[in-house]
Amino acid sequence: MTNILKHEVDLAIIGGGPAGLGAAISAKEAGVKNVLLIERSEELGGVLPQCIHNGFGLHFFKEELTGPTYTYKMLKNAEKAGVDFSTRTMVIRIDPNNTIIALSHNKLLEIHSKATLLCMGCRERSFGALRIPGTRPAGIYTAGTAQRLMNIEGMLPGKRIVILGSGDIGMIMARRMTLEGAMVLAVVELMPFIGGLIRNEIQCLRDFNIPTHVGHTIKEVNGTDRIEKIIITAVDKNRHYIPGTEVEFDADTLLISAGLIPENELSKMAGVQLNPLTGGPIVDNLWQTNVPGIFAGGNVVHVHDLADYASESAALAAVNAAAYAKGTSSQDLDIKVKAGKNIRYIVPNSITKKQEKVTFFMRVTWPLNNATVHIGDLYKKEFIFARPSEQIRIDLPIGMFMKLNHEEIVVSCYGEEAV
Amino acid sequence: MKYDVIVAGGGLLGAAVARELARYNISIAVFEKNIEVGCEVTKGTHAIVHVGLSYNPKTPLKNRSELLGSLMMEQLCKDLDVKYKKIGKLGVAFNDDQVKVFEKMVTNGKRFGVSDIQMIYDKGILFEMEPNLSRDVIAAMYTPNTAIVSPWGLVYGLLENAQANGVEVFTECEVQAIAWDKEANCFNVETPKGTFKAKYFVNAAGAYCDKVSQMIGDNSINMKLVRQQKVIVDNNYRNIIKHVVRTLNAKNAMGDFVTPTVYGDLMAGVQLELTSSVDNVETTYEGIEEHVIQSMKKFVPCIPPAAIIRPFAGVIAQTVDGEFVVRPSHENPHFIQCMVGGSGLGAAFPVACYLTQDIMPQIMPDMTLRSDFNPLRKDMPHIHDMEEEDVAELLGKDPRYGHIICRCETVSEGEIIEAIHRGARTVDGVKFRTRAGMGRCQGGFCGPRVISILARELNIPHEKVTKKGGESIMVNLSQKICNDRGEA
Repeated sequence: MTNILKHEVDLAIIGGGPAGLGAAISAKEAGVKNVLLIERSEELGGVLPQCIHNGFGLHFFKEELTGPTYTYKMLKNAEKAGVDFSTRTMVIRIDPNNTIIALSHNKLLEIHSKATLLCMGCRERSFGALRIPGTRPAGIYTAGTAQRLMNIEGMLPGKRIVILGSGDIGMIMARRMTLEGAMVLAVVELMPFIGGLIRNEIQCLRDFNIPTHVGHTIKEVNGTDRIEKIIITAVDKNRHYIPGTEVEFDADTLLISAGLIPENELSKMAGVQLNPLTGGPIVDNLWQTNVPGIFAGGNVVHVHDLADYASESAALAAVNAAAYAKGTSSQDLDIKVKAGKNIRYIVPNSITKKQEKVTFFMRVTWPLNNATVHIGDLYKKEFIFARPSEQIRIDLPIGMFMKLNHEEIVVSCYGEEAV
Repeated sequence: MKYDVIVAGGGLLGAAVARELARYNISIAVFEKNIEVGCEVTKGTHAIVHVGLSYNPKTPLKNRSELLGSLMMEQLCKDLDVKYKKIGKLGVAFNDDQVKVFEKMVTNGKRFGVSDIQMIYDKGILFEMEPNLSRDVIAAMYTPNTAIVSPWGLVYGLLENAQANGVEVFTECEVQAIAWDKEANCFNVETPKGTFKAKYFVNAAGAYCDKVSQMIGDNSINMKLVRQQKVIVDNNYRNIIKHVVRTLNAKNAMGDFVTPTVYGDLMAGVQLELTSSVDNVETTYEGIEEHVIQSMKKFVPCIPPAAIIRPFAGVIAQTVDGEFVVRPSHENPHFIQCMVGGSGLGAAFPVACYLTQDIMPQIMPDMTLRSDFNPLRKDMPHIHDMEEEDVAELLGKDPRYGHIICRCETVSEGEIIEAIHRGARTVDGVKFRTRAGMGRCQGGFCGPRVISILARELNIPHEKVTKKGGESIMVNLSQKICNDRGEA
C-alpha cells in the first residue's frame, strides 16, 4: 500500500520526554549519523511542559529551571546536535528484530533501526487500580491529569479537593490548586511517611498549611453524578482500617498521586523481559535489555526522583546504543546484581561488559537514618539518611568487579528505622 | 408529535424491540431517560450469551428465550457488525456434589435441545483447554456454544440500524406520565421534551418497568433489583483464560465466574446483593476484596489482585418470580409490558421477535411488513482491531485516525469524532463507543483531550461536558468555594 512509508535509521529512540531528548543529544554527540526521535504527542518534552513549577535542571544544566524552560533548553541542544524528530507519531508495535511500526499523520511508518532505545517513561497508577470502595462519579483525576487540565488546558478540575497519596505530583498539585483558589481539604497517605521529596513536603504542604494525614487511606467515595463525600480512615501496620478513626470530607474532587508505573507495553511486544520490582526492563550495565540491540533509559527502566536523572541515565544508555549501532559491542562479563535487605530495587540487574565505571541506581524500602549501602563485600557507602522517595546513585570503577565474573552481587542497606 | 408506537427504554430490550418493529410500516420512537442509551442495566450485565439451561417449569418464556437467544445471537451480531465470540463455557466442579449437579444439567440440557453439552472428566483434556485453571477442579460441564458479546455494542448496533430504518431516538426524555385518551384512541406521554401521542406503548424501561407500569394503574409488575459487583483485569492477562469459567453458588446455581471479554480483558465476579435503586452502583470492601478477589484466586490462582484495573457494579432488574413478562397490560391492551431479567442479554432479541411477530399483530392487525427494511449496519472504525494495511489506507483518507488520543486502547481522534456523530454526548458515551479511557490508565492521559473534543464537536463550553449527564460536570464547577475545610 502507498500509505506505508519505510525508513532506515541507525538509532530509533521511542519517547521524546526528558529521557528521549537527553538520549538523542548524547547519541548524536557519540557520532551516530541517523538518529530518529519518535514522540506520540504534538510537542516534545513529555510531561515537562505541564510542570510549570521550578526545581528542574539543577543537575543537568546547573541552574534552576521550570519544566517548560528545561524542555526548551533540551530542544535547543537537540536541534544543534542535528536530531531528527517525528512528533504526533505513535508506535503501535516493535518486533524483536528492531522493526518499528508507527502511526504518523496520514502515514503508517515501518522503521528499521540498527538499535532501538526505549524512553517511553511512566504513567500514573489509576483510581481503578486502587480498588477504593464506593461509587465512581465525575471528579476523580490522577494528579498529573489535573495538572494537564490546569496548566495546559486552562481548566479547574474541582474546588474542594482531597488528594490520595503524597507523591511529588500530588504535593505539587496541592500547592497549585491552592494557588488557583481551590480548597485542598486533605492529603491522605497510606504509609506512615510522605511519599515524595522532602523539599516538596516543605514547600508545597507545610508552607501552605495543607492538612496531611499519614497512615490513612480512603475508605469510601460517594456521589452519584459528581463526588459529594469522601471518607478517610487510619490504617494499622497491615493496612487494615482502624474502626472509629473515620473523617468525612464534603469534597467534590479526588486527585490520585499513588505511584508511577514504567510504561512497557511496547517493550513486552518486542520480547523484552521485565523486572517485577521496578516494572521496567531487566537491563545490564550498558542499559541493554535481554533483546540484543534494544536498550532502555529513563523512567521506563525505573522511576527516577528527578527529571534531570532521567535525562542523564538515558544519555548513558544512548552512548551504548550508539556503540551497538556502530557494531562495536560484545559481552565479556557475567555478573548478576540482586536487591538485598532494605533495597526495594537496584539497576542495572547485571554487569556484562567492561566499561570505565558502573553506575547503580537504587531505592530503599523504608526511611533509614545513619544508613550504609553495601555493594556485596566490595564497597560500602554511608548516608546520614536514606528515604524511599530519593534514589541513591553509586558510581564504581569496573576494576572492582572483575574478580567476581560468573558470580552474584547482593546490594543491601543497613541503618536505623527513621519512622 | 404522534407515533404508532413509543418504546420506553433505550437499553438492550428497548433497542431490540424498536429495531424489530422497524420491519413494519409504522412510525416508532424510543424514549431514553438518560443522556446516553444502554447505560443502566445493559452496561452492568456479564456480557455472556448463555446456551439456555433454565428448565424451571414456572418460567417457560425465559427458558425458551434463552435457548433461542443462543441460536440467534451470532447472525444478529454479524448483521449489526457487533463484537461476538463463541468461546464456550466450563462449569467447574471442586467436589463430587458439584459434579452431580452439573451431570444433571447435562442430562436436562440434552433433553431440552442443547445437544452439544457434555461433561469433561479427563483432567488432561480439561487443563489443556484451560492451562491456568486451579488444579483443585475435578471435572467440568462444557457448553461449546456459550458466547461473549459487547452488550452496549449491541444497543448501539440495534439503535443505529433502527434509526437507519426510520426509528426516532430521544435521549434525556424520561416518561413522566401516561394518560389514555379515549376520544383520540391514543396515549398522551408526558416527557421533559413535551407531550407525545402514541397508539401503542411498549414498556421496556428495565429497572423502571414497575414505575412506568404504575403510570397507567397497572401494579402487576413485581420486580427486584440486584447489584452485581465485578472487576476488570488488565488485558495483559488476555490469554490466561479462554472460556467462560463458572462455578456453582451455595444454592447450586451458576455463581462466580472469570471470563474473557470481547475487548481482550478479563472480567471476574460476582457479589450479588438486593438493592433499591439502579443508581446504587457502589462497590464495597466486602464485595470486591473479600468475595470477588477470593473467588478469582480460587479459579485462576495466577491472576494477582494488582492486575485489576477497575472494580465496578451493575444493577440488574428482574421479576420476583424470575419469569419474563411480555404481554399486553390487563389495564390497557395498547400498553405492552416487556420485561426480561437475569439472563436477559441473550434472551432480549428473541423476546423482541416474539413481541413483534406474535403479540403486536393481535392488537395491531393492520401491521404490514415493509419491503425496504435494511437489516445491516456497519460499525464505526476501530483502528485497534484493524489490519495495518487497512489502518494505513484509512489514515490516507483522514489523518485524524492517525492521531491517537487514548494510548492504552489505541483510540484515535477520528474514532472519537465518529462516536460523537453517532450519538455520544458524554465522556462515558465516548468511552463505551470507542474504549477511550477503558484501558489500564483509566483515562489519565486521554481524559482532558476527550473533554476538549466533546466541547469542540458539540459546540458547548468545557464546563457543560459531563461524565454521564446530569450534574456529572468534569471541570470548572460553578459553585463558590467555602472558606472552611469542612473537617468533621
